Amino acid sequence: MSSKGAEWAALAFFGALVALVFQQIATSMSEQGIASGGPYDNAASYPRSVAVFMMGLLAVQLVRASFLDTEPQSELRTVAGFRRSVGLLAVFALYLACLNWLGYHLSTTPMAAAVMWLCGLRNVVKAVGVAFILAFSLAFAFEKILNVVLPSGVFSLNIPW
Amino acid sequence: MFETIIGGFDLFFSPLAIALTFAGILIGLLVGALPGLGPLMGIILLLPVAISLPPLAGMGFLISIFVGGSCGGAISAILLRIPGTPIAAATLLDGYPMAQKGEASKAIGIALAASSLGGLVGGVVLIVAAPVLAGFASRFAPPEYTMLAITGLLTISLISEGTFVKGLLACCFGLLLSTIGTDEFSTGYRFTFGSHHMLNGFHIVAVVVGLFAISEMTFQMARDDLMDKPKLEIARPSLKAVVQTLRHWKNLLRSSAVGVFFGSLPGAGGDISSFSSYAVAKSFAKPEEKYGEGAEGGVVATEAANNATVGGTLVPTLALGIPGDASSAMLLGALLILGFIPGPEMFLMQPDFVGGLFLVYMASNVMLFFAGILAAPFFIRVLLIPKAYLIPTILILCCIGTFALQGSVFDLMVMLGFGLIGILFRLAKYPLAPIVLGLILGPILEANLRRSLLISRDGYWIFVDRPVAAALIVIDVVILVGFAVVSVRRWRAAKQSCGLDPHMRD
Repeated sequence: MSSKGAEWAALAFFGALVALVFQQIATSMSEQGIASGGPYDNAASYPRSVAVFMMGLLAVQLVRASFLDTEPQSELRTVAGFRRSVGLLAVFALYLACLNWLGYHLSTTPMAAAVMWLCGLRNVVKAVGVAFILAFSLAFAFEKILNVVLPSGVFSLNIPW
Repeated sequence: MFETIIGGFDLFFSPLAIALTFAGILIGLLVGALPGLGPLMGIILLLPVAISLPPLAGMGFLISIFVGGSCGGAISAILLRIPGTPIAAATLLDGYPMAQKGEASKAIGIALAASSLGGLVGGVVLIVAAPVLAGFASRFAPPEYTMLAITGLLTISLISEGTFVKGLLACCFGLLLSTIGTDEFSTGYRFTFGSHHMLNGFHIVAVVVGLFAISEMTFQMARDDLMDKPKLEIARPSLKAVVQTLRHWKNLLRSSAVGVFFGSLPGAGGDISSFSSYAVAKSFAKPEEKYGEGAEGGVVATEAANNATVGGTLVPTLALGIPGDASSAMLLGALLILGFIPGPEMFLMQPDFVGGLFLVYMASNVMLFFAGILAAPFFIRVLLIPKAYLIPTILILCCIGTFALQGSVFDLMVMLGFGLIGILFRLAKYPLAPIVLGLILGPILEANLRRSLLISRDGYWIFVDRPVAAALIVIDVVILVGFAVVSVRRWRAAKQSCGLDPHMRD
């Protein structure tokens, strides 16, 4: 994505955010009876003020984006790099989707190995081996030392360190 | 002042607090040395660990990561000509030429000593100035706090990378994020969309990890050096570096003063202070010192300023509850999670804890030098690890750390969501730090604004009637007008240069 495209996408994001604030004030907050009255019970006044201020800034930025034709180079400029970045996000999203279901111990090693493969490590044994050591050593540190209970998944897999 | 420090002795002089401060320095040096990480990332990744520890030990751990991380970037800047963090960018101007001349060990030693001594100067200012500022601020009422929060937000939005409109838009985004959840006044639900996960809003760690760490890893993936192992000289700095650094004592003190000054300004940060101190040092230097060609003074100036900035940054963070940059915003967030409210109240109610924080800061700067000298060869070897192994390690740390806060997979989804927002913002050149500041200062701003309006029976004149609040309004207006004038001038200059004949422009 070019910087200019990202700029317009960011402006669209801010526009949607402002619209969402007014929609929520008009629906949810009005229904709860917290969108009017004095400073104590008017929970809508502050977000409304911020949203109005944002609208002003958005207008200024829209003018700037329309008339200033600067196109700074994007950080994701090469096709291969862009693919790797998208691949990382896809692997990570899939990992989060599976985490509750499979649990930490079954899902983390494949995720880490997949990221290493995306980075260019083509030795599968090495990738899986390093990923396994990484995932389990970090789990040991958090589960054993800090008493963090990691997701155990449908197989209820927790390691009794 | 002395009672505060003496009160902190019992808290700091425990084996756990000292060990964690030392561990924090080592981790800080490590994350600082690794390009793409840095003190902020170190604090973010280890925040979940810190908040599960006793308060002073946990904060000592984070503060020392901040201190170590502010210095670690010099190692990669000197050896690789790649600053581990942006704040070490100025160090490579003279550090790398020194390494090219075969003086890498000397350059790293000087960087460590200058950082340590600069940090100690920053610490003295912190210990003297923070209680005074807190004492002054203890007379503040809601209108003053409202204006103070606005001033902090304005300054960081304006000084952050990108245009000031973008900074303010990012700041407003953070302010809106802070309104999600239960309203503390009316107890009504705002922007929760009926989800019980949103009743307390988004967890700050999930937001910050997403914005900074996930987006950074995504951009790191776009680089072509993921499997590369750089060729490095294993440098072994020595204790003589202190003597070599003290030869530049005037430069050291001047650069530390510059660092403290920029640190105490919200939004300015280490990168501005290190380049400014380098410029100042160069202007005072004799021509034969040859700045830019491997001058020791250049390394002293930038590294002393970097670490003095940390002390300066902590002054408004601890005394007013107004963080100076994203890293100190995370420290402020950690204090809030641990149950402390930074600001005058903390100085009044928990002076021992404040004294402990001062001791942690001073001790971490002393440890920085010795830990750096001992462990530099190890950190240099760590630079040989390809990013293909570091990226998944950081991703797993992000996940476990964020999950550990509340045991919630929802937080991980939030983290990914903010990762995507962080990527979009970075592509569009929007700064991320004002979002964090908005998220942290938002509740303070809203609560004090509404309290002020309650006191004044809904009249906005209360902000003008009170002298300190009115003075802060004047400062805000001056800042805004100043930036508007500078922006218009820049725009006119850009327009004029575009209007020139293209051959003339060349």
